[in-house]
Amino acid sequence: MHPFTFVRAPDTDGAVSAASAGDAAFVAGGTNLVDLMRLGVMQPRRIVDVNGLPLADVEDAGGGIRIGALAKHTDVAYHALVRERFPLVADALLAGASPQLRNMASIGGNLLQRTRCPYFRDPGTPACNKRVPGSGCAAQAGYQRSHAVLGTSEHCIATHPSDLCVALAALDAIVHTRGPNGARAIAFGELHTLPADHPEREHVLAPGELVTHVELPAASARFAKASRYVKVRDRASFAFALASAAVALVMDGSVIKDARIALGGVATKPWRSHDAEQILVGHAADPALFARAANVALQPAHARNGNAFKVPLAQRTITRALILATGSSGSGGAP
Amino acid sequence: MPALLGYGSPRVLAFVRAWSIDHADRAELRAIRAELRGLGASLTIVSDGGTWSFRPDDDAERTTAAVYPDHLEVPRDRDALFVLDADDHVRFSYDAGGSLAGTLGEALAAAGAAIAAKPRPTMYTRREWTLTCLVAGFALAVFPGCKPRARSRARAKEAHVPPPPSMTTTELDVNLRVNGEPRALRLDARASLLDTLRERLGLTGTKKGCDMGQCGACTVLVGGRRVLSCLTLAALADGQDVTTIEGLARGDQLHPLQQAFVAHDALQCGYCTPGQIMSAAGLLAEGHATTDDDLREQMSGNLCRCGAYPNIVAAIRSVKGGA
Repeated sequence: MHPFTFVRAPDTDGAVSAASAGDAAFVAGGTNLVDLMRLGVMQPRRIVDVNGLPLADVEDAGGGIRIGALAKHTDVAYHALVRERFPLVADALLAGASPQLRNMASIGGNLLQRTRCPYFRDPGTPACNKRVPGSGCAAQAGYQRSHAVLGTSEHCIATHPSDLCVALAALDAIVHTRGPNGARAIAFGELHTLPADHPEREHVLAPGELVTHVELPAASARFAKASRYVKVRDRASFAFALASAAVALVMDGSVIKDARIALGGVATKPWRSHDAEQILVGHAADPALFARAANVALQPAHARNGNAFKVPLAQRTITRALILATGSSGSGGAP
Repeated sequence: MPALLGYGSPRVLAFVRAWSIDHADRAELRAIRAELRGLGASLTIVSDGGTWSFRPDDDAERTTAAVYPDHLEVPRDRDALFVLDADDHVRFSYDAGGSLAGTLGEALAAAGAAIAAKPRPTMYTRREWTLTCLVAGFALAVFPGCKPRARSRARAKEAHVPPPPSMTTTELDVNLRVNGEPRALRLDARASLLDTLRERLGLTGTKKGCDMGQCGACTVLVGGRRVLSCLTLAALADGQDVTTIEGLARGDQLHPLQQAFVAHDALQCGYCTPGQIMSAAGLLAEGHATTDDDLREQMSGNLCRCGAYPNIVAAIRSVKGGA
């Protein structure tokens, strides 16, 4: 591991100023950072430990909730208020990683975790635009099974690995930060950027800008009764998604009054499909309707040879999640 | 792997003026590795050309600095080798009279034999060694973040070339309570909790499997919760209670999970077992598992290459049922 200086941040402002200059990284749980530092993929010169900051609480916020960025996955997943108002978040959290990792990993860190693309994680691979800007993308003609079909570019097809972020995208979460220029609130859909020509940029945060809270707005609590996270992976537990879907609905009898659909495991950022949502709204829940929405969701997909299977897989995952969320009969599940 | 200089119990320091890993022959490297395994030791070779850190199961790593007690009497014109225990007592010293290059394997073997024959330190009386930091080539640069004490000032004076900024590292004080016992440590900031437990504190029950958070062999409890010690910087566990597999039994009385793993034959090779048991201890404390499916799901962070899973589930179920 490359040497670094270790700074314990006394308060939020101290953390921001310690991380604003030079090549610095915040550390909370360290589950992603320490791994990547040991692999030689990340080599920050300064590590700013933010664990002493008072940002680990889950609070009631007028019908919504405010989750401190340092709250551990386990604590959020089993929090009564989260389970009651945003069960989709609890389900997505428990679908990710292992109990040990969930005891360590912070919510803020989850949002900014790096891709699991094997070329990114291997400094022995020369071509990775995300790791070494301008070096190329080994995945374009290489192993693609874990890679994205949505939001890709010729420079990067790395998948965003988070489960939590898929639920947060569906529920219109708001990310609160503190940076060198003060505090700001970022709509979840604006936090992550597409790779396009600059895969090394993954989010809109400035150097030294610290995620302090994730807010789930009261307006999204109305999805609590009909939401579902479905994750498909190579083994039953402790694996990253090949495809996942977070669906959240507001039902009036059997009619869908409002809908949210987000995808994981198939896109370069937590992926929201507004077009698919529009297919559902105003119609009675029905597997054929779900399949139509799923087709629309994957319309923009650009599959490569090694990951073409993800298009139908993601479609079926969406359909399955909608069937489960509405309690519909599963007989017409396949699109 | 990070080079955790000053870690390991015991550790070997070899001062070999003309030595470089690029010119060492494979047979010598193999011999070094084999002897280190026998000793369970780490090795630091300090030469005119640089400093290399060896651990039995990792590749040698070139580093900037060696850390050693300032009372160590390092000859200036001859090669020498020292074996230090966890408290920095010199357990064995060897003055080569000339060059050690090419014969390091033999010197390590002699060290092993001498230590086996004399299990107590005999070369020096016990002293409280102060740690000081000197650089490769005996004194090229001061190791940053470390203040040389009086005895080493003369040598430190020669050390006026600062290390390149990219190699700046820090040491820091970390206080842990390990299996109930307070441990005040000064650690390289890079030290993982796993390496600290195994190599600094000699608690080798916690296993290193993948060292990247994918196997669970290194599971310990921190603050009563199961975590992966390989991905935990020791600095992040500062002030916390750490429980390892060594801390589970009460004297000769095995923990119920340990008894259950024996009774249910829940292991074959046993390498993952300490992690499985610590993870199960965490699981029972969490109280979120009801069914066998829950047990399997909530033990999914612990892999068993032998496939002892059915018996592992049975063992945990038996304790859960009895609790």
